[in-house]
This record gives sequence, C-alpha cells and structure tokens, in this order.
Amino acid sequence: MNIAFTLNGKPQELTISPNEKLTEALRRLGVYSVKTGCNEGACGSCVVNVNGRAVKSCLMYAAQVDGGCVETVEFIGSLDNPHPIQSALVEEGAVQCGFCMGGLIMSAKAVFDKNPSPTDEELAIHLDGHLCRCTGYEKIQSALRKVSSGAAS
Amino acid sequence: MKKNFNVVNKSVRKIDSLSLITGKPMFVGDLKPADALVVKMLWSPHAHARIVSLDASAAEKMPGVHAVLHHGNVPRVLHTTAGQGFPEPSPYDSVMFDNKVRHVGDRVAAVAAETAEQAAAALKAIKVVYEELPAVMSIEDAMKPGAPIIHDEPDAHAAIPVPYEPERNLAARVAMDVGDLEAGLKASDVVLDREYYTDYAQHCPIEPHVAMAQIAVDGRIVITTSTQVPFHVRRIVAQVLQIPVRRIRVIKPRIGGGFGAKQEVLLESVVALFALRTGRAVYWKYTREEEFVSSRTRHPEKMRVRVGAGKDGKIRAIGLDCISNSGAYGAHALTVVCNSGSKILPLYRSDIIHFVGESVYTNLPVGGAYRGYGATQSSFAIDCHMDELAEQLGMDSLEFRRINTVRSGETSPVFRALGEGKAGVEQSVGSCELERCMKLGAKEIGWKRRGRWQDKTGRFRRGIGMAALMQGSSIPEIDMGAVSLKINDDGSFNMLMGATDIGTGSDTVLAQIAAETLGCDLDKLIVYSSDTDMTPFDVGAYASSTTYLTGMAVKNTAEKVVKQMKDVAAAMMECSAKDISLSDNKAHGPGGRSVTFSEIALRALYGTDQFQIGAISSAISHKSPSPFSAHFAEVEVDTQTGKVSVLRYVAAVDCGTAINPKLSEGQTEGGVLNGISYALTEEYRFSPKGRMLNSSFLHYKIMTMRDKPEIKTILVPSYEKTGPYGAKSVSEICINGPMPSIANAIYNAVGVRMRSSPFTPERVWRAMKEQGRI
Amino acid sequence: MKLIAYHRPAALAEARHLLRELGAAAMPLAGCTSHSFVKGDEERIGVDLAKIGFDTIERADGGFIVGANARVADLQAHRAPGWVLDRVALRFVSQPVRNMTTLGGNIARIFPWNDFPVALLALNATVTIAGEEDRQLPADIYFDGQPARHFKAGDILIRVFVPDVGAGCGFAYRKDTLVSMAFSRLTAAVWLQREGKTIRDARIALGAAVPLPLRLELVEEAVVGKVYSAELIADAMERQIAALRWRSSDAFSEEYVQQLARAHVPDALEEAFRAAGGGRK
Repeated sequence: MNIAFTLNGKPQELTISPNEKLTEALRRLGVYSVKTGCNEGACGSCVVNVNGRAVKSCLMYAAQVDGGCVETVEFIGSLDNPHPIQSALVEEGAVQCGFCMGGLIMSAKAVFDKNPSPTDEELAIHLDGHLCRCTGYEKIQSALRKVSSGAAS
Repeated sequence: MKKNFNVVNKSVRKIDSLSLITGKPMFVGDLKPADALVVKMLWSPHAHARIVSLDASAAEKMPGVHAVLHHGNVPRVLHTTAGQGFPEPSPYDSVMFDNKVRHVGDRVAAVAAETAEQAAAALKAIKVVYEELPAVMSIEDAMKPGAPIIHDEPDAHAAIPVPYEPERNLAARVAMDVGDLEAGLKASDVVLDREYYTDYAQHCPIEPHVAMAQIAVDGRIVITTSTQVPFHVRRIVAQVLQIPVRRIRVIKPRIGGGFGAKQEVLLESVVALFALRTGRAVYWKYTREEEFVSSRTRHPEKMRVRVGAGKDGKIRAIGLDCISNSGAYGAHALTVVCNSGSKILPLYRSDIIHFVGESVYTNLPVGGAYRGYGATQSSFAIDCHMDELAEQLGMDSLEFRRINTVRSGETSPVFRALGEGKAGVEQSVGSCELERCMKLGAKEIGWKRRGRWQDKTGRFRRGIGMAALMQGSSIPEIDMGAVSLKINDDGSFNMLMGATDIGTGSDTVLAQIAAETLGCDLDKLIVYSSDTDMTPFDVGAYASSTTYLTGMAVKNTAEKVVKQMKDVAAAMMECSAKDISLSDNKAHGPGGRSVTFSEIALRALYGTDQFQIGAISSAISHKSPSPFSAHFAEVEVDTQTGKVSVLRYVAAVDCGTAINPKLSEGQTEGGVLNGISYALTEEYRFSPKGRMLNSSFLHYKIMTMRDKPEIKTILVPSYEKTGPYGAKSVSEICINGPMPSIANAIYNAVGVRMRSSPFTPERVWRAMKEQGRI
Repeated sequence: MKLIAYHRPAALAEARHLLRELGAAAMPLAGCTSHSFVKGDEERIGVDLAKIGFDTIERADGGFIVGANARVADLQAHRAPGWVLDRVALRFVSQPVRNMTTLGGNIARIFPWNDFPVALLALNATVTIAGEEDRQLPADIYFDGQPARHFKAGDILIRVFVPDVGAGCGFAYRKDTLVSMAFSRLTAAVWLQREGKTIRDARIALGAAVPLPLRLELVEEAVVGKVYSAELIADAMERQIAALRWRSSDAFSEEYVQQLARAHVPDALEEAFRAAGGGRK
C-alpha cells in the first residue's frame, strides 16, 4: 500500500506493507536516528514525534502515519545549528554512547514545545519511556534543567 | 608533577557527541547496505542435549536462503569467545557450532537469507533430533559427585597452564594463602563467618550485539562490528575460520554501549563465514531476547567470607572463598573469579589472607566480562561483612573502614599472588585518597544522623549504608595500547589508536592528553580509532585500561612528535631545540619569537629537509593503580511491602586526575544507577528446565529517569605518578558500590542483613518477616 | 499476528460496516500498544479506529464523557473539578505509550495488569457500545469477565461515562510496580462517600493481583454505613483475602500479592476517606 506523510518538514510518499512498523519504514528512508533496542515498546530508542506527540515507532504501523507529520532528531538541529536541547546535552557531557539519545531528545522536545520550563518531576514523567544504560540520567537531567531555566544557548 | 593543565582536567565537549545526537549514521546498523543478507540463528530449546541428527536440506532450498551453517559444515576449532589477550586465560571450550547444546539459547544452526522473514521461515524447516541429557541448574549441582559432565568433548582444553577439570565441571580454579587462616581466626577476638550470593544480571547495552561482514574488492573480509575488542575479534575470527589474520579487517564504528558484553567474539565469525561462503554482505543483530539469553551475563557467585578482628578493631585474618557459575562455557571464568579476590582483598589490611576462586560449568546462560569484573560480586560480600563485623565489634562501620583500609605507600601480598592466569605483579599503592573519599562522602550523606535500626518505627523506615571500594587500571604486564600521530599542513594532527571508544568518551579523553602534550587546542586533533587496517594495536576497552594505559601511549607518542617539532622550529628560528616550548599551537623560542604549528608543518612537508613529523608508540604498564571510592546510600524501606527506595546516593571517587571531570562523573553516575538496579530490580528467572522466563525489557527491569535517586558524585583528586597527567581509571569501580551500600542501608533501616541479591520487595519483606522485624 | 491489509475508516458507520464484513479476520486497532502481546503468525486485517472521532473529554451531568479514542495522555493532561483519571493515567506505562494508548483500547480487551478497568470499576463508570443501537453497560457488568462477550461483529466501544468525584466523595489509586514502568503486581482503586466520620458508600476495586479486575465486596460490605475504623478495615481485608483467588507469577507469589493488598487497600481507603472530608477531590 502507499502512504503520504510529512517527514521532517518535507512531503514523503512511500510504499509499505501493511505489517511494516514505522521504525522499519523510517530507517528504510535513511532516517537512522530511529533505533531499535527492544522492538517491544520498552526502551524508547525508536521514539519519534507524530503530529507533535512522542510515540514509540516500533509499536506503530507505518500505515498509521498516512496523512500525518513525522519529526525525528535529524530535523530539529544540525552540527552547525543544534537545537538548544542538543547543545545542552553536549555541554553537560550527557551523551555517552548516544544510541538512546535520538528518541530521548524527541520526547524532551515534545515537552518543551508545550511548556518551556518544566520541573524536574515533569521531565522525569515525560522521559519515563526511555532507557539509558550509560549515564544514570544525572547529566541528562542537569542538561534539561538548563534548557528549562533558559540557561542553555 | 604538572598540575596546571591547559586541556587536561577540563570538561571539554565529548568530540563525537553532537554528531551522535543529530542522527548521523554512525552505528553498525546504520552502515548496512540495503542488499545485505540477514542472519537468524536456531537456538537450542534444551538446556543440555546431544544433536542426534540435523537436516538442513529443506531449509537450504527455501526462497531467499543463501546458506545454512551448522556443526556438519563448519570447521571444528576449539577456541574461547572471550576477547582477551593471547593466549587467553579462558578455556578453549567453544566451537562455532557443536553437536551438543549446553544451555537453552545455545547455537544449533544459522541461516543467511535475503530477508529476516525468509531466514526465520528457513529456521523452521531445519529438522533437528535431540537426545536430551540431564542438566545442571546450579553451582551446587555442578559440583556434586556424578554430576552430568557438560564439557565431555575430548578436545576442550586450557590454552595456558591453569587448573581445568571439565570432568568435574570445573572451568577454573585459583588460590592463594598468606599465613594460616584458621590460626588467624582462632587468635581473633571477634570472628564472623557468612555466606553471600549474587545472582545473574545482564549488561543491557541499548544497542544489542550487531555485526556485519563484507567481501572487499581484493577478496578480504571487512567486519564492521559493535565490539569492545576489534583486534581480538580479528585474531579470534582468523582462528575460528582458519584463515590468516591478514585477510581480515575489523572496523569498530560508534558503539551503543558495551559494559563488557561486547568483549566477547560471538557474531563476527558467523557473519564472516557466511560472507565468505556467499560473497555477499551479511548482517546479524541480536534481538533483545537473544541479548539476554545468548549473549553474556554477570557470573553469579557464591561467596563465603571469614574475617577475624581484634578488640582494637584491627583485622587479623581475611578468608574469601568464591565459586562462580560460569554457565555453559568458560568465558572469563578464571579471570572474573580471580578478580573477585585480587581487586578487593588488598583493600583491607591483613597479615593473613586466604583466597580460593573456582568457576563451575552449569547448563545456564554464559557468564562473561561485565563492568566490575568479579570485584562487583565480592565487593558486596566483603563490604556487607565488614559492616556486620564492625557492628559486632561495637564500632562505627565508617571508623572501622578508616582504620583498616589500605593507604598510599602500603602493599599487599595479593598483588603479587594473583595475576590473570599467572602470578601477579608486585606493587605498592601509589595515590590513594580513600580516607578523604570516606570523609567527604559521609559528610554529604549525613552519616551521623543514621541512628540504629532498633530505634526506628513506622511503616517507612530510613537507613544509611556505605561501602569502600577499589579496582585497578589495566592488567599489568599483559595489556598494551598503541597510538600513531602525524601532523598536517594546518597544524592539525591525525591521531590513530586501537583504543576502543564504546561511548565512554575515550576518544575525547585521549585527544585531551595529546593536546596537552602537544600544546595545541583540542580541535586540532582528528581522532580515528579501532580499525585494524588503519590504527595500531590496542587490547581494547576493558579492565579499566584505556585512560591509564592508552593515555600513556598517547603521551609517549605526542612527546616524540614534540621533539620533532622542536627540531624543525629550532631550525626555523635558528636557536636550540631545548630553548623551545610548545603551547597555544605555537613553538615559542627565545626573545619572544614564535612559529605556528602550521608553519612548522609546512616547512616539514614542503620546505627544507622534508619529512613527516609523526610517531608511533605504545605503552604497557607495570602496575595497575587502583582508583578508590567510598559510596553512601540512603534508603527508605516500606516495611509492609518490602520495597526499598534509594533516596539519595553519594559516590566519592579518587580516580587520580580526572582528565575530563564531567565524563568521569558520567562514568560514575552510569555505573551507580546500573549498580542500584543490579541490587534492587534486575534478576534472571528460570523455568525448572533452564529457560529464562523474563528475557525482555518488559520483565527484566532496569531503571528510568523516573526511578533514579539523586546521584551526587564527588571527584576527590589525587595524582598517580605512573599515569598520564596523574590519571587512574574510573569506569568500573562505580558499579561495585550500590549493592553493598544498599544492603548495609537496609540493615540500618530495618535490621535485616540481605546476603543474597537482588533485594526485590518480596525478598526483603520475607526477610523482615522471617527475622521477626515486622 | 501479521497485518495483511489496513483500513482506516473515517466514520463510525464505515468502521462498523468494515468490521461486520471482515468478521473474524478483522483486527480493530486503537492505540496499537498491546499488539505485541498478540503472538503468532495469524494473518489479520487491521481496522484502525483512530479517525472515527470519539476522542474528546467533555463535561456532562454528574461526570465526564470520555471518548474511547481519547489517549491516556489526554486523560493525564485533563484537569477539572471531580476528574481523577489523571492520577491513573500518570502511572500508566510510559509517556510515549500514554501518547498512543486509548482508553477504549485499554478496556476493550483485558489483560490482568490493565489499569483503567480497576479505576472505572471503583468510579462506577458506564461504557457505551455502538451496535445496531447504542448500548450502555455499567462497569460492574462490562468488566464481569472478558468484555469480548459484550461485542457482536461490528460493535465498537465509543464512550465511557466517568462520574465525577463530587463533594463528600474521595478517590484513591494505588499501583504497585517494581519500577515506574513495569507491569502492575497490584492495582487498587477506592471511591468513597463520607458523612462525618461514617463511610456512606464505597466502591473498592482490585486488579493485577487477581485474574480479572473485581470489587472487594466483603470489604465494601464491612465498611459501608460504619464509622471509619482501621481495625474494621484490616479485619474485613483478611476475610476478603481468604475469599479470593489470587494470581501469582514467576515474579511474585500469591502470599506476597496478598500482603500487597493488605498494605495498599487500607491505605487507599484511608486516603479516599481523608479526601472525601474536604481534601483532594
């Protein structure tokens, strides 16, 4: 079947199988920030934003985004012009292996898009779908705290 | 001793971090060609069985299938999957495919097909007849006389002269005695004899094991793999496939976490053989379930601790007997259990020391290297034991540790006695700020307000516990790291290293050491690591070695380059090289004159007496300086449900000079949270027939941001003279603290000693009930 | 399960028609988050209900009309006097899953660990199923066994009426998990109406620790009409524990979940009682 959606700000058409999950479809399109760490909705490495909401793309059928709007971490910042969340994570030393980060950043962005200054608790609640084994989340928290307080660039 | 640094000891940006979080294709899975064949493995459904027959003929003819591998069509080469130095101290008890399976999730046959669906369908068409054998499901069962023999194949053997008795399921044994333990205990005023047990756990890198092999235009095999040990991968794949090392190139791209699991050579030989047989690119990634069952785990250990002390609070004798469960194969069997002794026993001063470490085979998942490497298990036993002993002596356990732990300048017979598969290396403790770690950590957690459990009431009770820790930095006189460095026209440098950054930031830390030595900015270093064709050798990312050991190699190499640059600059400024100093990307000569690194490079490359400014150098170590740490946990126990919540955690760490303080803190915090969930929530649950029941992130629980306590890291500087700019290691030690400090905190809260991990709510509730605490 | 075709009807009638036509081959899709629990290779045709509407939360007389397509995240974000499902939502799986899972999806098929059936039982919600004509089922009937038996081919769950927790009433919710994102070992919800020191009415529901969500009738009987008393509750709880069939798994024993009930239910009752007295509604 064919679907059409907006992928990172650009119109995208794609032929998919009805059983194809969004993770696979996006990786097929070269969107490599979307990772598979568990394929059962537990690790959060596959999180993307669909119509402004952070979702687990491994649980979602690609067919479900037909007509929708998908954003991934590739879209929100670049090496030359990183998103403030990305800058803060880098400055705080919060990026170790980085495998979980694409998804985690998209969850964080969904929070900040709605509320520019969330509390630690609100952030923890909104990031509870992400497993990171490297950092203990401490530096991620301090980076996001900086974004929340407006201290990040 | 240089202490005013320009680049070192600064929290510079991790050099790959922005690329990593802007979605660049940097991991193995991102580099896979679209037409790569996909591998699926048929795993053993039985814990212990002989393969009577295996018929893959139908599978081979299935659509999309290009090859099937099984014991009937691959070379039988005994080897170890443990990625260690050569010859490995782990027994040669593995073959690529065997006619016997030794745990649920052992290999039976592999298919390479155009798609994953086709490969999965082909697996179902492989006909296997098993003869089930009695299985061994525990350490105790393994050691019983007449127990089923798991490695009854005649060709299993140890590659080095170490005890190996597979006929009684003994994968490894190591022992040492200084003085007479029994006599020492008899002469003590207080003696405590206890057993402890730590259970299975998995590393849970968020990126599972993944590897890809391609045939290059010249016919060589290029393996791109998520590994901690690219050079060991090359050597072991060559061994298993019986092809020369020169035919193999191993590339390590970015790695999605390792923690020791990827110090194992598991997938690479399979994809390489498939690539050879099909001529195609071949890709294999573990599922999460496979990562739990068919990757590697932390060895469970059963430990008996006997310690005697005098009324003065001083330890007279320490005995530690460890038996590890190596699972179905002996990967790291000897060295992990050996480290249970060697990395902990020197911590507490004693004239009499007894240690036995044994490792036994069972028909359960395979143990391996896991951050902490045996010290994690014994830290739990020893530091819970010391807590209880202090109590029996009527001493504050912090004070007890203060008077008994090792100090700078002291030595321990353990260093000499226990090496890795051979005698150890005599050494004295260099830098050691453990006492200060304990002091600062105790202050931060509020040690004085801990009180006694007997005085605590109410449903929710709080307690504070601690642990004192040590680890090492590299394996002395075994590990080696090497680096090459060359200058470019613009005064930048290519630094090529075998060292393996698996997310830890070693590329950054090593670049900082290079920049410090060269006198340039960090961004002048172009770092490329871990490509066996391009970079010099390194043993890889394990044994807390990279910063310390490869850091020395970087410094050695950079110093050689500095000398060459000074010579060129001296010629340019017509002065003596010894009057030149390098800093700010310039060579400064007498009279305020200077030339830039770029000018030096241009002269060397294009000007007069041209040559390549560059060097290659390496380092080994003659000691393994210990980082030290004091950990403190405050917990709250729900006496009705047994749930233990960690409220606050403090880790005070002496890692020498922290080359990059924020990354050092990150290592500590990551290790601590991993240790906290190891203590409280992570467990392997098995069916009676040895099948893991909770092999997914839905049922094997590691913590999220919502579960974490505040983790406070205090870096306590010291200066390790043998290390680069005073550095020691930091990556492993931090995981050892949570289990003992939480157990001690639980005791302080509710008066039960948890001697068996993990401390799940039901277990804590049962312990409180059985001991009449509720 | 393997989807071999996918439909996304744009209206209720079209969805009902498709489900009737496809019969057993159809797999209605809501938030899709529990589909990984449907094992096997069975081929099904997905009928995605996301675009048929019924995704709002509206105030109604005495409560709220929640569309079956409302996401758990919508329940989490909703704030209104008498609205308590935000507290239930907050403990539901994880945020990306809360952003996907719908209320309807969570109660259309019941796994032992499902959260909302427990809360809706305590709150005495009413479920509306669109069939040949709309049918309204009280929670006690809807959740008495697997809901599948209430659905004929083409029937779709469209709305849930959730009574508000009004003046003099209190609600408390407990979910016992190993870590924040984990299957529940015990879920308890208490709705309670108070008059002075007396419990005038109470609905106490339990899930996860028992095979299917249910009400703790012995405890309810014991406390309703009585002055609040911890001893009375503890005593009734013991009788209730003895009377029920409990669930165990490789992760926990029956004895332990009974203990969890002993710990959490009285605690939730106390919280609800306090809340009914003028605390949090």
